[in-house]
Amino acid sequence: MATRPLGIDEAAALPGRRAGSSVVAVLARFCRKKPLGAAGGAIMLLILLTAVCADQLQTYDPIATDAAQSLARPGREHWLGSDHLGRDIYSRIVHGARVSLIVGLASTLLGSVLGGVVGLLSGYVGGKTDLITQRVMDILQGLPLLVLALVMSASLGPSIPNVVLAISIPIVPRAARVIRSSVLSIREMQYVEAARALGLRHLRIAFRHVLPNTIGPFIVLGTAQLGSAILVEAALSFLGVGVPEPYPSWGRMLSVSAAEYAQKAPWLVLFPGIAISFAVFGSNLLGDALRDTLDPRLRGS
Amino acid sequence: MRRLSLVVRALGLVLAASIAGPGIPPTMAQTPKAGGTLHIMLREDLSQGFAIHETSTISTVWPAGPCLSNLVIFDPAKKVESLGTVIGELADKWSWQDNYRNLVFFLRKDVKWHDGKPFTSKDVKSTFDMVREAPDAPVKLRINPRKDWYANVEAVETPDPHTVVFRMKRPQPSLLMMLASGYSPVYAAHVPAASYRTGCVGTGPFKLKEWRKGEFVDYVKNPDYFVKGRPYLDALRYVVIVERGTRTAAIQAGQLDAAFPGETSKTTMEQLKKAVPQMVFHEVAQTVTDNIIMNVKKPPFDNLKVRLAVSYAIDRRGLIQASHQGGAVLGAAMLPRPFGVWGMPEKDLLMLPGYGKPDEMKARARKLLAEAGITPDKPLHVEMATRAIAIYVDMASFVINELKQVGIEATLKQVETAQWHSMATRGEYQIGANLTGLGTDDPDANFYENYACGSPRNYSQYCNEEVMKLFDRQSQELDVKKRLEMVVAIQKRLEEDAARPILAQRLDYFAHWPHVKGLVPHHNIYNFPRMQDVWRDK
Amino acid sequence: MKHYIAQRLGIGLVTLVGMSVVIFLLLRLAPGNIVDILFSTGGYVNPSERLAIERELGLDKPIWAQYLDWVRQLAVGNLGKSYRYDLPAWEIIAPLIPVTLELAALSLIISVCLGVPTGVISAVRQDTRLDYALRVFSLAGLSMPSFWLGMVIILGLVSWVGWIPPVTYVRPGENLGLNLIQFILPALAVGYRSSALIMRFTRSSLLEVLREDYVRTAWAKGQTGRVVIWRHALKNAILPVVTVIGIEFAFLIGGLVVTETVFNLPGLARFLVQAILWRDYPIVQNLVMIIAIVVIASNLIVDVLYGILDPRVRYGD
Repeated sequence: MATRPLGIDEAAALPGRRAGSSVVAVLARFCRKKPLGAAGGAIMLLILLTAVCADQLQTYDPIATDAAQSLARPGREHWLGSDHLGRDIYSRIVHGARVSLIVGLASTLLGSVLGGVVGLLSGYVGGKTDLITQRVMDILQGLPLLVLALVMSASLGPSIPNVVLAISIPIVPRAARVIRSSVLSIREMQYVEAARALGLRHLRIAFRHVLPNTIGPFIVLGTAQLGSAILVEAALSFLGVGVPEPYPSWGRMLSVSAAEYAQKAPWLVLFPGIAISFAVFGSNLLGDALRDTLDPRLRGS
Repeated sequence: MRRLSLVVRALGLVLAASIAGPGIPPTMAQTPKAGGTLHIMLREDLSQGFAIHETSTISTVWPAGPCLSNLVIFDPAKKVESLGTVIGELADKWSWQDNYRNLVFFLRKDVKWHDGKPFTSKDVKSTFDMVREAPDAPVKLRINPRKDWYANVEAVETPDPHTVVFRMKRPQPSLLMMLASGYSPVYAAHVPAASYRTGCVGTGPFKLKEWRKGEFVDYVKNPDYFVKGRPYLDALRYVVIVERGTRTAAIQAGQLDAAFPGETSKTTMEQLKKAVPQMVFHEVAQTVTDNIIMNVKKPPFDNLKVRLAVSYAIDRRGLIQASHQGGAVLGAAMLPRPFGVWGMPEKDLLMLPGYGKPDEMKARARKLLAEAGITPDKPLHVEMATRAIAIYVDMASFVINELKQVGIEATLKQVETAQWHSMATRGEYQIGANLTGLGTDDPDANFYENYACGSPRNYSQYCNEEVMKLFDRQSQELDVKKRLEMVVAIQKRLEEDAARPILAQRLDYFAHWPHVKGLVPHHNIYNFPRMQDVWRDK
Repeated sequence: MKHYIAQRLGIGLVTLVGMSVVIFLLLRLAPGNIVDILFSTGGYVNPSERLAIERELGLDKPIWAQYLDWVRQLAVGNLGKSYRYDLPAWEIIAPLIPVTLELAALSLIISVCLGVPTGVISAVRQDTRLDYALRVFSLAGLSMPSFWLGMVIILGLVSWVGWIPPVTYVRPGENLGLNLIQFILPALAVGYRSSALIMRFTRSSLLEVLREDYVRTAWAKGQTGRVVIWRHALKNAILPVVTVIGIEFAFLIGGLVVTETVFNLPGLARFLVQAILWRDYPIVQNLVMIIAIVVIASNLIVDVLYGILDPRVRYGD
């Protein structure tokens, strides 16, 4: 590759973004080129809005029970029906978005940041540290995700912070691997060598020059893991070791009680499952499109 | 003339149908057919194999029942259990002596263990010395939940190979009830007690063929069973299905012939009935109660007023509707009539806290709390512990809602199974939502286990010397009418002390396909596992 | 080549040892042990009896001593005794393996049969409506919670048809037809999910290859489209797909847990959940190690295949 003079700003620029173009223009181009991704983005936005405005959107208090309305069919009173304790399904799904999103985002962020830092340092420092760190990451990754989360939830007890922690741990090695490979490829670039030649301290180089170029892969990883985090939270809640009562959780809405009344009230099983699928679908669509746009090299990872 | 006899016959059928309960065809004398296999539901794998004496769960008793035998059992054909329905199994006859202080059993002489060895009084002595932890007992149990059932037994003597004498410290007519429970089978003296955790050497109507862990338990007919002509069935298979929805689907699709005791809720019954109109359901009590445990040793529930307020605040009928969809009944500590014989009369029951009009009850609760210094602007904050299982959580959610309306703000804390009993026994909780099952609906079993000072299952740590004396008095009372009065008075007293208010008595709608005959569930989930009279119509 | 394999093997072993320590410690992190569960089935707690049982099971020793005991036993091939069942762990685990293996194998076959062709079609017809439709279909599989899919299938079957697959495991030796009927639905549920990832990778790697110069040259030279695709593109595109199949195998485990539970198949995954709830340390440790060995082995096989197929790796590294 021919050398060319590189300014720090340029190095920090996101690939694909032309200097001086507005955010709106970028978004518009994205929607045109990647309609599926745009659809995914719209879905995620919808869910975000639902989560934020849950209190306004609800028709009933999601945790209030009403024996007289037990297992009511979807209709004017209860838009999506009610469960065996008379709780409104629609309101619970709306609030469930909040729980799923919070848990999904928090655990993805926690895991990605932790993993990212580990990957960044490990990739940059290299040598023995890198080797050992990689083995530790291998170990974390080799343990089946659900098993790890199960044992952790059992250890720490069911509560939202614990569930976030449990789900974030399997994300760490994946994040570390992606960031590390990105760092490895950047590390050899000449502008970094130049910076070193200039005498800049390693940490400064790591964070000011190398890190910004990993943002692309980071975003891609984040959206991909968000979907997986939502699914794991659902599975944990379904198995009974996830988000505890009284917080409505899409996964827990599908557990024992739903199965028991499913034939009499199929809406108990259908709607929460559709909600989960919808959310994960949106995040996957968006993640795919972002990956294609921001870093074509990563399409295969 | 002919029309009249038709009418009479029709009336007879209607009468029989209405007595027999929902879904049961009119009783007609049928000749049992021999042969066939029955597929029966299990909701989890056996906890400790067939070691009934080391567990307190229906998951052991239900699949282990066909292998073993008791000294006496409750008549399989009768749903209501009482001293009057106790019949002999390994014991031919029995006789109370010395004013109900000694219980003598005359054992059958034709009984053989599944490995061919003869059954003698030695087996009985070995089993019950082991369970009561006699000082000279050669065998010891690793876990012994029912040691206290036999606290009153001084010695078990065997004057000859077919006679056993239970010598007691004081008269206790209830001992017979406890011996008839599904929890009291006889182990073989010639095999180690620990062997029951992996296999089963018994005297029961079926021999263990195979226990494939996590999958099923297979039994075959015992050709040397001491009741001639029984069992009717050739084989039994208990199938383990952990997932709730799959279980119901399996019995609906006909892959299972009979359900698991306590498993068929009212709503499940309605669903099954709609899908399979010919399915048979028996509405029975379980001898399992929903109750609230409150730690009386720590504030705020060391204050009687606060405890009573909790009891007043919880609308019992509301709970039955909300958490059970109507599949439970009102009752105090003992099973109410017509399910049991020790229940409080309805008029007395309706005077208890929480049984009246919800608004009035809640007003009373608020008044009591105000007297204790708790008002809506100074609400009481507590943590309600419950097991992390759906039925517990549903009950707790409802109770929390009720308490909120009188000024008690309770947050729910779900406790995993592994920690529940230690937490409760050590009193590391304030208030909890609990389920309690009883091996037999007997006052002695209930009071001493759950309300006696120092009992490990008295989670409230409730200890009242005066009430203990009442327990002892009713335990020795030989006149049944007088005893009933005492037991009713004790139940009233227990609810007034509100250490462990009873919320509801659970019902089961035990389901089985119509070709299953002779399987009569009792008003107690633990006491009909034997399958000795069950047969298939096709 | 030999050096490459040896290196990978060494890394795998180190990872295994690390995992054994992690799972060992993690398990004991969870509050409550088998004795608590035993008492809970007994319905009461007694501290002195508790100590006696802990001593009997060796749970009173310090953690490092317990770990060394376990490793020492493993070295002689003794997997220990299940706390719950009081029987040798291998005796209990062995019958579970063929069930999970069959389910995993069938799922993998279905996912490849579903994923590769749809990936090829999608790549060849890139950005057409067919491409979009296939991508949406495949992504839907990735988005649905696997336990939900299983539940919906069973409930749908029993409501509309009044039939569900047999709930008792039928060995392939006993009745192959019934066994396949029993396994086809759960395998579809798991396979559908896995196929999504395979489809994506097939599509993206094929797209990359299709852009390569030599492919364009072949087209320019006039060779018909299909020949070009099959002879040149697919051969090179297969490589990343093989990688993904290997990775997918590891992801399969998570889906297996809930699928085995819902369809009542007596496999490793379902048993693992029960063992965790029962704090049956020997069983959990051994099962997790078995899964780890399978995952590491499959990664190793993929790495080796990579080494064989991609000359850059063989001589570089």
